[in-house]
Amino acid sequence: MPTQTLTQAESLRPRGKGRPRTVETAAPSLVELLNLVRSETATTRQELERHSDLGRAVVADRLTMLGELGLVDESELGTATGGRAPRLVRFAARRAAILVATLDQTAIGVGVADLSGTLLTEHHEAADLTAPPEQLTERLAALFRWSLERHAAPQGVWGISLSVPGAVQGGAEGAFLTSTPPIMPAWEGFPMVETLTQGFGVPVWIRSSVETMTMGELHAGAGLGQHTMLFIKVGRRIGAGIVCDGQLFRGAQGAAGLIGSLPVTLGGQTGSLDHLAGSDMIQREGMAAASDGRSAVLADILRRGGEITAIEVSQAAQVGDPVASAILSTSGHLIGQVVATLANALNPDLIVLSGSLVQTNDILLAAVREAVYGASHPLVTRDLRIIRSQMGSSAGLVGAARVASEALFAPAFLKEWVMQGRPLAHPAFAEYLGQLARAQTPVPQPAPPVPPTMRPGKEPQA
Amino acid sequence: MTISGLGPHGERAAPPERVSLLPDDRTAARDASWRVAVVLHTLDSDWAKQQLAGMVGIFGDCGAAVIDVVDCAFSPERQVAELDRLIAQRPDAILSLPVANEQVAAAHARVSAAGIKLVLLDNAPTGLLPGKHYTALVSADNFGLGKIAAAGLEPHLPQGAEVGVLGFAADFFATNEREIAFIKWFQANRADVRVHVARFGRIDEAAKLGERLLADHPALAGLFVVWDTPALAVAARLREAGRSLPMATVDLGEGVAVDLAKGGAVRCIAAQLPYQQGIAAAQTVILSLLARPVPAWIALPGLRVTRDNVVESFQTVWRQPAPKEVIRVLGLAR
Repeated sequence: MPTQTLTQAESLRPRGKGRPRTVETAAPSLVELLNLVRSETATTRQELERHSDLGRAVVADRLTMLGELGLVDESELGTATGGRAPRLVRFAARRAAILVATLDQTAIGVGVADLSGTLLTEHHEAADLTAPPEQLTERLAALFRWSLERHAAPQGVWGISLSVPGAVQGGAEGAFLTSTPPIMPAWEGFPMVETLTQGFGVPVWIRSSVETMTMGELHAGAGLGQHTMLFIKVGRRIGAGIVCDGQLFRGAQGAAGLIGSLPVTLGGQTGSLDHLAGSDMIQREGMAAASDGRSAVLADILRRGGEITAIEVSQAAQVGDPVASAILSTSGHLIGQVVATLANALNPDLIVLSGSLVQTNDILLAAVREAVYGASHPLVTRDLRIIRSQMGSSAGLVGAARVASEALFAPAFLKEWVMQGRPLAHPAFAEYLGQLARAQTPVPQPAPPVPPTMRPGKEPQA
Repeated sequence: MTISGLGPHGERAAPPERVSLLPDDRTAARDASWRVAVVLHTLDSDWAKQQLAGMVGIFGDCGAAVIDVVDCAFSPERQVAELDRLIAQRPDAILSLPVANEQVAAAHARVSAAGIKLVLLDNAPTGLLPGKHYTALVSADNFGLGKIAAAGLEPHLPQGAEVGVLGFAADFFATNEREIAFIKWFQANRADVRVHVARFGRIDEAAKLGERLLADHPALAGLFVVWDTPALAVAARLREAGRSLPMATVDLGEGVAVDLAKGGAVRCIAAQLPYQQGIAAAQTVILSLLARPVPAWIALPGLRVTRDNVVESFQTVWRQPAPKEVIRVLGLAR
């Protein structure tokens, strides 16, 4: 095909009367081809023809169209296997950016990811989640703008994805949020979604931290390539992320895996797993052991004016303090009993434990392993691996990026914007943005960004 | 001293005491006779020299041979080439300060994929994970350094002042944290102060950029430069132009120590502890080679240095007497 014809796809040229323009019928095949390229299922035209059952001419035309829309790139050559080297078809992941953030009880993390969900930069800082939501949103917006100064994408931002402490009710595949779901009692009535949508002009998605961390672990951590995985987050609350057939299972209401509310029994006392094994219990027991002198290490911290949190108890256990070790071991056994039930129901390949408590000592992990191995069918544990996450809070950011990326390119959502080349032209989103503008929602103005007087790499003038 | 920042993946800091070596560890290390290599951004700065001195001493105590010390001259391309060269030499461990983010990430991942223990200094490229792509990161509490600098500059700024920040254009964990913390401190504690940011790509651009920032914002009443070498260059350029602004910076190099003692432009320095950081980094390498668990992020606190405590701070930081000129200017030589 002459180069000239490649500059304008057949489908974008004007047609005669009575015949539908390809632009009106091409969306389904564009969606299919783009997702084959995006998932790297197919990386050449030949592979695309094979996987899609579309003819050579149609594939060529649609690829030209996707190239013109800036969504795929065919500039790279692959490896020749006898004849001419094939042109590689790559997803243009750097065309736009996704802003991501994790909000947890004591810290916020922000990052910029590309359209394939790869994190380009991240920053974490201490924060108080009980602070007024206006303040938190303002800080989030300031950090987003700071990050964008360094990682600007040609098409700007296409979405914002947040990870929050509690369960978030699920929506349809790909659907962005049009109102702020109930997340935390202190945030009730604050239009966080509306504020961010208006402030950045992009759709917003929110998932629970357990869900985003599970997605992160599945796509960039120990879960890579796993089909069945359990992800257990241990903190003040204890939650499970469930992966079946390589997909995150959210349940009917987005509430799958809330194991922290299950009743467990310890020394004749019955309470929820959160209450009897979470970090509040560890802190409470550690504080008691420090006050009455049973734990020499914790008592010493107290004497020096230090604070006893679950992390101190965890670190004391790691350096061999017997009382702190016993507290962690009790927590681990209780968590392990509940996880064993899930493991017997699901038969996972892998169980990943996460949270700062798990990261700072080995005892909790060992106790969970002991309880799971002790209470499971031998077939369930034969090849089962129980490990700790190496991703830290990055798992939440990476997972949040995957949530937005999957939503933007979900077939039902993608077919509505693919012809325009950008999701901000999606009719439902354009309509929602218009509604917000018309309603003139009283949006608290974030602090003005700090304008860099000079961009990186620009030569200063004398 | 508390650590106020979080690690590159949100980790809580572990203090350097967590990687202390016991006599048994040293004995086991001496029996193993390991070979290690060090890859730094530069070998010219006082910071790099002291860091190296701290490391090499520990490696000597543990019978580990330092087979190469590489100066990357801040060049990502050079760092990638040097890491690949070192991988071929098969050392047991590499201590590296990644000079950029994405550009050097894959080369660092190749080190650990080759079975070589990798301990990072000051910066962890995005996407690299502790325990998988590297063993641990050892750095200063850079967020805390930014806060120290802000709190130290603040008393010199009148109500409603404008302050300039000269940041580093490279996407680098340490300097990013300092810049973010400095700006956040003013937003939280002195909302009346307006901050203007510019970023230099190379140290030799900093002086011109400082001049340009001042030309764009003639009302600037103070300046924060993210480390001392460019800060001195900016101070000198402004002095030549007949201007002087109260400045804060990070790292107690000899030049800024003299400037501080003389009552020059630099009013506050947030000092790192490079010698102790070098020790902590080498101990982390030894422990990881002994297959002992090490924390993902080991952080050292910063020191607030003003004219009042510059002499003792210099001794703490550099483990050597303060420069004669500092002693003379402060009237301590009688």
